[in-house]
Amino acid sequence: MRSDLDYLVPSSVEEAVALRAASAGAAYLLGGTDLLPQMRAGRKAPGQLIDLKRIPPLREIRETADGGLSIGAAVVMADVEVHPAVLGRFPLLAECIRTVGAWPLRQRATLGGNVCNASPAADAAVALLALDAAFHVVSAEGRRSIPAGSFFRGPGQTALLPGELLTDLVLPGGAAGFRGRYLRLSRRKGMDLATVGVLVGKSSGTAPDRWRIGLAAVAPTPLRVAAAEERLEAKGAAAAEEAAALAVAACRPISDLRGSAEYRRDMVGVLVRRGVVELG
Amino acid sequence: MSAGRSVGRDVPRVDGLDKVTGAAQYTADLKFPRLLHVAVVRSPHPHARVLDVRTGLASRAPGVRAVASGRDFPLHTGIYLKDQTVFATDRVRFVGDPVAAVAAESPEAAAEAALLVEVDYEPLPPIFDVEEGMAEGAPLVHPDLGRYEVVPWIQPKAGTNVCNHLKIRKGDYEKALSGSWRVFQNTFRVPQVQHVPLEPHVSVARVDLSGKVEVHTSAQSPFTVRHLLAACFGLSHGDVRVHVPYVGGGFGGKAGINLEPIAVALAMRCRGRWVRLMVDRHEEFFATVVRQGLSATLVTGVDRSGKVQAQKMHYLWNCGAYGGYGVNIVRAAGYTCGGAYEFPNVWGDSIGVYTNRPVGSAYRGFGMQEIHWALEQQMDRVALEMGIDPVEFRLMNCLGAGKSTVTGQVLDEHAGRVDLCIRRVAEEIGLDPARERRPYRGKGIACAVKAPAMPNDAASSVVLKFAEDATLEILIAGIDYGQGLMTVAAQFAAEALDIPLETIRVKGCPDTDLSPYDWQTVASRQTWATGNAVLRAASEIGRQLCETSAEVLSVPAADLTLRGGHVVHEPTGRSIPLTRLVMGYQFPDGHAIGGPVAATTSYLPEGLLFLDPETSQSAKPVAKWTFGAQAVEISVDPETGQVTVEKVAACYDVGRVVNPGLIRGQTYGGIVQGIGTGTMEELVLDPKTGRALNASLMDYKIPSTEDVPTVMTVDFVETPQKDGPMGARGIGEHTMIPTPAAIANALFDACGVRISEMPITAEKVWRALKEKEKVRCRTPLPCRPLAAGPFSAESLARHLSSLPVPARTVALLTGIPRGNGSVDSVTVKWAHGRTRALVGTLRSGDVREVAYQPDVAALTGLGPGLTPTGDDLLVGLAAMASRLGDAGLVDPRALRAYGGSLGGLASASTTPAALALLGNAANGLYPSVLAAVVESLGNPDVQPETLLERAARLAAVGAHSGADLLAGALALALGIVFPEEAR
Repeated sequence: MRSDLDYLVPSSVEEAVALRAASAGAAYLLGGTDLLPQMRAGRKAPGQLIDLKRIPPLREIRETADGGLSIGAAVVMADVEVHPAVLGRFPLLAECIRTVGAWPLRQRATLGGNVCNASPAADAAVALLALDAAFHVVSAEGRRSIPAGSFFRGPGQTALLPGELLTDLVLPGGAAGFRGRYLRLSRRKGMDLATVGVLVGKSSGTAPDRWRIGLAAVAPTPLRVAAAEERLEAKGAAAAEEAAALAVAACRPISDLRGSAEYRRDMVGVLVRRGVVELG
Repeated sequence: MSAGRSVGRDVPRVDGLDKVTGAAQYTADLKFPRLLHVAVVRSPHPHARVLDVRTGLASRAPGVRAVASGRDFPLHTGIYLKDQTVFATDRVRFVGDPVAAVAAESPEAAAEAALLVEVDYEPLPPIFDVEEGMAEGAPLVHPDLGRYEVVPWIQPKAGTNVCNHLKIRKGDYEKALSGSWRVFQNTFRVPQVQHVPLEPHVSVARVDLSGKVEVHTSAQSPFTVRHLLAACFGLSHGDVRVHVPYVGGGFGGKAGINLEPIAVALAMRCRGRWVRLMVDRHEEFFATVVRQGLSATLVTGVDRSGKVQAQKMHYLWNCGAYGGYGVNIVRAAGYTCGGAYEFPNVWGDSIGVYTNRPVGSAYRGFGMQEIHWALEQQMDRVALEMGIDPVEFRLMNCLGAGKSTVTGQVLDEHAGRVDLCIRRVAEEIGLDPARERRPYRGKGIACAVKAPAMPNDAASSVVLKFAEDATLEILIAGIDYGQGLMTVAAQFAAEALDIPLETIRVKGCPDTDLSPYDWQTVASRQTWATGNAVLRAASEIGRQLCETSAEVLSVPAADLTLRGGHVVHEPTGRSIPLTRLVMGYQFPDGHAIGGPVAATTSYLPEGLLFLDPETSQSAKPVAKWTFGAQAVEISVDPETGQVTVEKVAACYDVGRVVNPGLIRGQTYGGIVQGIGTGTMEELVLDPKTGRALNASLMDYKIPSTEDVPTVMTVDFVETPQKDGPMGARGIGEHTMIPTPAAIANALFDACGVRISEMPITAEKVWRALKEKEKVRCRTPLPCRPLAAGPFSAESLARHLSSLPVPARTVALLTGIPRGNGSVDSVTVKWAHGRTRALVGTLRSGDVREVAYQPDVAALTGLGPGLTPTGDDLLVGLAAMASRLGDAGLVDPRALRAYGGSLGGLASASTTPAALALLGNAANGLYPSVLAAVVESLGNPDVQPETLLERAARLAAVGAHSGADLLAGALALALGIVFPEEAR
């Protein structure tokens, strides 16, 4: 890791964007729990770090007009997972976040940093996909909103353009009320990356029930399996096996140190079925 | 547990306050003026010739103060086999092998300069597996092996990759094997794993302007570091000083010598400057040391009673690139190759093989967890296939007083009681053979034994001295890296001198210039060796105190005792406080006697004898054995393969519990470390490049608190060790030895699959369960009840005399196999014996299920195939028994008892297909082809040609399933009709 790194601390989004526009080799820094190890390992070598943690609006969780929630990119996961509005209306997000690393790490790691790192195994990203979150970004060119569903492009790859800064992640009011389980296999029982992660959510506020199926660590990006959701919406929990088969068909796992593709595929089926049956 | 005034009591750790307040200083905490930082240039190749190393650019880089490489330091080091230089000279032998190193003013400057060292390599073919390394014509990792210096009791083979080979030859193995009733052969594997100490390796060195060397290092053995540094740099021991501050875990990885030579080599190039080499977690995984891998093939021959008569053990150790330390693991595994069992006839080979993998070295257990992984699963397999309860089987075969080890050492009554440990953990976990079974819950047991593996003359010494206020200071050079040595040393002194523990200070961070000699802190030897030295020193101190007091009180010294910080004259009650004695006693007139009280004593194990070089027989090869056992209860998720260790019970015969809290802590820690290596750990190398793929805590997992079992019960037997301090023997390593094997045995108990290659990962279990499921899916033969029909004994006799039967059936009926020496021939002999026994029991009309169970269990799963021979015989027998029962020739109650014994079989005992057939038979359903034959036998209405045709149809089933089913039916029919000539 270089010793001659510039460390910049802007106090507004505008300042941050300007700093970034002025330096092609700069990187935004949030909690640093992904970026710094990558720099130490020599996989990333930014010339400047622009720390976003001192920008007040990025550190807020705000209610939105439609009954949703805006979570600033620099809010640490530990604050998200205990936030009353998250626990009350978007418990799936807390359910997923609780499995990320250990509590001390979540005191440092941010939700925004986690999605920008775009790990295929990102547990929190599965919830954001399932809850139809929108990612608000800003750059010298202006602001735009990217739906979670088109944000993840591959391992470490996102839809962000060079210089774009993620300001907040917005959960729409319409996604409130989903409850469910994040079922996860890992090599040890805690503090490990997922070998397979399966989120099963259900909202009973409407008729018929609405369902959500999200997958982690079984494709180049976190996935949502719309076909399985539709089948469950049409037939209810009795279609657990069918939903599981659809999820298995949708996943595209690789073999790595944590598990073989064959094992992961089979586990997607097992966990989806278990989740659906449990939510009944 | 027996408690003295201090020994046996749960006193808090004497180093506890230092550690919880952060006062304890570890090597990396120490501050040095103008410290230089080191970066090491490491080989990117697993095996290559080093053609040239150019350091000019690096030495001119900014901030660089010294560069060192191989050509400047040609001397070899290694604790037993000197096979390693400070830096690679002519060849590199693993990815990570040091080639050069740079010392610079900052870590960054060092790292950048290291990139400027230019090395020309000529890659050579690498070897990663022991089998490759043993192959004829394999590339040699150490072509100069024959020229290395080696201690006399290690036997490297020049011109091969074998760095040590220990042979055990006891009794007549070949003869015992050929006389065995049944023979079992299995292979087990253990991968390389890393110690993962909380504190990675770090060494700081300075060479002063006069040339004297001073080192601060995170090590288990300051004196061995000094000894090997002196040898490696050609220095006098008197000019090398080694300090070891507090150490944050070692588990064997900091035994012997590690980073120190590199730091010293650089320090020699910049005299007067302190140089620090501190590896990060990534380097710790592959560039320090790892546990050796093992490939173990076992052959066990048992007699009819289930006593093992012949035992062969072939251990191939993956020693990695250098074997300096690992050669002694090979040796220890050799003389302990039979584990906790008595084997009368043994053929053992423990062979260390060089490969181009990371360097294998000591790791808690010193080879014992690895060989017990193999041995204890083998014992379980043999027991289950013999139809003997695994606990009973262990008790039948385990060592104890009067039994002889693989080296021919006959144990005496002081040696420790593995039988008691087995019984206690079996009871705690509920390993009762009649226990109620729950699906995917399993219980298993494994034993453990280990002796200290060390040179016969490995010694420990201590200094005990008093301060003016009668504070007792104990100087030791054993390292307390968590196990509690400082506390235990204080307890022994407090007990022996009867002084309060609070008045004792143990100086536990040794300095070789000032501390008394200690060989190493390894081998679970410190409580025992340092403990003995402390007791001897305390006795000498007591003598000095009493001698002075005798003069003061004008009484014989023999009447004086130490009590509560005083020397007391028991007959009169007169006493002198130690405060008035420890610096000498001054009389009222001013004259003084005695002087500062102190003692230096040592302990060296007595009477140890070398092993015979060809057979390894020796009456006393090691100082002591510590025996123990663990039993576990696990649950298995049948769909994901995930294993959860629910409960562990451990019991060891430690001779004497010195500190109950510390020994419980040791045991909990060992169990958790055992769960780690047993279920999750493996250092994975890229098979092409030889690079470690999971050299980080992200990819290499050790247990977290969530993986710790909910219940761990710990129990001890106290059979005093004759030469142990107050009877104590070592326990540190033993606590992690049996855990993986016990889990593996519980896994088989839970769901009938066996994982022979550590670790037992969820995916391996899932895969094994899938395989088993595939077998289960094949439809066994269609079954039906027997149809009633006429019967006459005369027709049965006629049928039996005239029916032509296949040769296979004849072999089973006579017990004479076709062709000898095959595994199948053993099956035939065995099956015949057990079948005859069952026929006898049925004929006798025994109505107790237990009368049938042993033979039924022995036959279940016997032989290869979808439905093993033994199971076919049992089903054939059942069908015939049913027919003869209807005819009044077999007591129906005996029939029910036999049927009951078929119905109660564990799912693990045979193949799923056979289990289905047996289950059907227990319910009166038999394969239709078999039923047709059985209905015909003894039926006067059936034409001979019809019977012949039906018998032929039956005989055509499977490879020999039909012939085996027929043999079962005929064996009973013959036994009933011709009781005197059942053959």
